[in-house]
Amino acid sequence: MTTIQLDDLDRQLIELLGHDARVSNRKIAAELGVTEGTVRGRIKRLQQEGLIAFTAVTGLEMEAKSRLAFVSVHANVNNVRAIARQISELPLINGVMITMGQFNILAICLFDELDCLVNIASDKILSLPGVHHVETSIAVKTLKYNTRIARITEDGLITGLGG
Amino acid sequence: MTQNFNFDATDRSIVELLRQNGRATNQQIAENLGLTATTVSSRIKRMEDANQLRVVAVSDFAAHGFNFLMEVAIEVDGRPASDVAQELAEFPEVFAVHLVTGRYDIDMLVALKDFDDLSHLLLDKFSQIGGIRSMTPAIVVDIIKYQFDIAPIEG
Repeated sequence: MTTIQLDDLDRQLIELLGHDARVSNRKIAAELGVTEGTVRGRIKRLQQEGLIAFTAVTGLEMEAKSRLAFVSVHANVNNVRAIARQISELPLINGVMITMGQFNILAICLFDELDCLVNIASDKILSLPGVHHVETSIAVKTLKYNTRIARITEDGLITGLGG
Repeated sequence: MTQNFNFDATDRSIVELLRQNGRATNQQIAENLGLTATTVSSRIKRMEDANQLRVVAVSDFAAHGFNFLMEVAIEVDGRPASDVAQELAEFPEVFAVHLVTGRYDIDMLVALKDFDDLSHLLLDKFSQIGGIRSMTPAIVVDIIKYQFDIAPIEG
């Protein structure tokens, strides 16, 4: 892992744009007391280094599949990466992490009806070769969900649902 | 929170373009969709006011010096799980807190700068919250997919 060098200006930019990405460079420049060119250059660098990306976050009401479930998976340890990748390609899976603990894969799934969740967790994931067991828990209430800090993928692309 | 908000095709097209580039100007979006910049601006504002849209810069965990991520499953005893979850949500290291069905009552995601922070967070902070019976952590060793663009939006 490379060490990332960010100065105060970078951090201020991240903070400002984290609240509203649609502020103009001119406004940001005025607020931070730097030139528009500096703002433009810094934003470009942060984007190129994969440290920030601009996107639209939409509320769950906008989506037909608006319930969240955590699917904990116990998979073969010797090919857990390949299994995790296969899970990440399933529809409606919007997060997949390899973990060390009771389970070795955590998948986050969006669904609407219980049938849909059963289809993904108990049918599709459980039937993948190398998957031994799944445990599903449904999020019934969300108290916090910080979308401003996340993992930006290597290609820098953020894909929408089903994208 | 659940006032009914209806998105029409125009709203969805605008959102689709903003997903690709959150910093596209109203004018650029308008030209792309054959609308006026005023319409684009008022549509965006309407969705934002209804807490159904935020256009933001998302920064990588690395930009904040967060080097590792943990999922922590919590069993609650003798106290409403919502109250415990509310207290947990107040820690900046805690990224997501959900009440869940199943063996555990609360599921949360925690980000840390380094391993040394763990003992302080678990022993001095989380464990001071009343009603936590057990905490079962899982260390995230690799993130394969992390789509964060559909989420509950706080007002």
